[in-house]
Amino acid sequence: MKRFILLFLAQLLSLAIFAQTESDAILGVWESGSGKARVKIDKAAEKFTGRIVWLREPNNDEGKPKTDKNNPDEKLRSTPLLGYRMLRDFQYKGEKTWEEGTIYDPENGSTYSCTIKMTDENTLDVRGFIGVSLFGRTDVWKRVQLKKK
Amino acid sequence: MKKGLLLALIFCSVAGFAQETDTTAVEDFSMYGEVELGGGGKRFCTSKVFDLSPNKLISIGYDYQSSYKLNLGAIASGPAQEITTSNNYGLRIAANVPVISKTNVLLNIGATYWDNFYSFDKETAVNPLARSLQKYGLRTMGLNFTLFKPLNEKSFFILNGSGDLNGNYSFNDFQPLSYTKISATGIYGWKKHDRLMYGFGIARSYRVGEANYFPVFLYNYTFKNRKWGVETLFPAKAALRRTFNSRTLAFFGYELEGNSYLIRNRGNEFAPGIDNLELRRGELRVRCVFERSIKDFLWVSIQAGWRYNYRFNVDEKEFFRGFGDDPYLATNKLTNPLFVNFSINLVSP
Repeated sequence: MKRFILLFLAQLLSLAIFAQTESDAILGVWESGSGKARVKIDKAAEKFTGRIVWLREPNNDEGKPKTDKNNPDEKLRSTPLLGYRMLRDFQYKGEKTWEEGTIYDPENGSTYSCTIKMTDENTLDVRGFIGVSLFGRTDVWKRVQLKKK
Repeated sequence: MKKGLLLALIFCSVAGFAQETDTTAVEDFSMYGEVELGGGGKRFCTSKVFDLSPNKLISIGYDYQSSYKLNLGAIASGPAQEITTSNNYGLRIAANVPVISKTNVLLNIGATYWDNFYSFDKETAVNPLARSLQKYGLRTMGLNFTLFKPLNEKSFFILNGSGDLNGNYSFNDFQPLSYTKISATGIYGWKKHDRLMYGFGIARSYRVGEANYFPVFLYNYTFKNRKWGVETLFPAKAALRRTFNSRTLAFFGYELEGNSYLIRNRGNEFAPGIDNLELRRGELRVRCVFERSIKDFLWVSIQAGWRYNYRFNVDEKEFFRGFGDDPYLATNKLTNPLFVNFSINLVSP
């Protein structure tokens, strides 16, 4: 009986590890379709978030680091864009899809509902939408690998 | 064996715990500057420059022109007449949905509905065209598509096409689909940087009232201070843009607006035997536009300006005049009123 329980637990464990591996496939650094920004996707408390870690144009006209100047909340407009958490609250829903999250567009200060689908190990279809998925736009993000120095 | 399994269990739970730890500690961002695309992917340019006016997914608007005079020529036994409209008004509804939205191709499909009614309440219309306009107005319904195909990081191709049904029809007395007017534009362009894109191409358009072919020049530029910009598809439209912030924009410019409308003798407004005429309407709208987000993705657009009519003539049938000088069946002159246009828009992410 004990042997059976242990085998059952081991089986359960391997399934859990497999599921976790699949859900964690999104972790890493990704470049947006426009190439203007790179976003690092992390995981915390079973939810996935993404922070801006690189900007093609990191400084404003005055030569100072860009801030979230378009944020509708005036208090947040001085927050630096570098390090800004633009993807929030994504949960893995199986079939290489992460849902129920939001994406923030610093270009216009809008937050959209968002679904992320991994089409291959180096490509994400990131779809921001308003209400229903039909009213949205998909941006294709590519995984980037840090060059070894 | 049992010990091995237990050890694996402990190891995995520790690994799982480690993975859940927030990794947002302060880090050196400079390490993300030197990268290469995984899988050897290719980069493509986008269809926009910084601060370009947002794409409207759904737009519901109302257009109003103030009073103006129409000097309408005789058509067969129908007399000429100078008549004044009290106003000229209509709905303008459009939908434009991205159906393919990838880095390497964008395809938008759209639909439009415009109507245009003429109110001659001060005088009795006796000219047949005036009678038709008063009774049925003019309608346009159409489908369109826009394909943006980036070839690499610096160059792109745009193909736009539309099919419109224009005429004095109503929903219970529709006009034949064979009278669909086809317009198209093809542009090859370059995106120099995030603030400049331009291109050259050719268009088939009814904006001058009748089908014609002419070269087009696309030029979208945002000045370095990000407060001003230019949005141009010459000669169809051009505007200087003032960006107050990402949710408030103003434009000063013009647009050529026109089409060819099938005018049927629906209620014997014209003499017997006169039917299926083509009304060539072409006008220039010089305008100021103010656009603002009123709530998240809901934008309001208000425009006001001067409408200059340069063609409102009637042909006996549809044919390609080009730059020729074939005479019109009736030549009409319109004075030029002020206009306002108000719309509510759902804008795209």
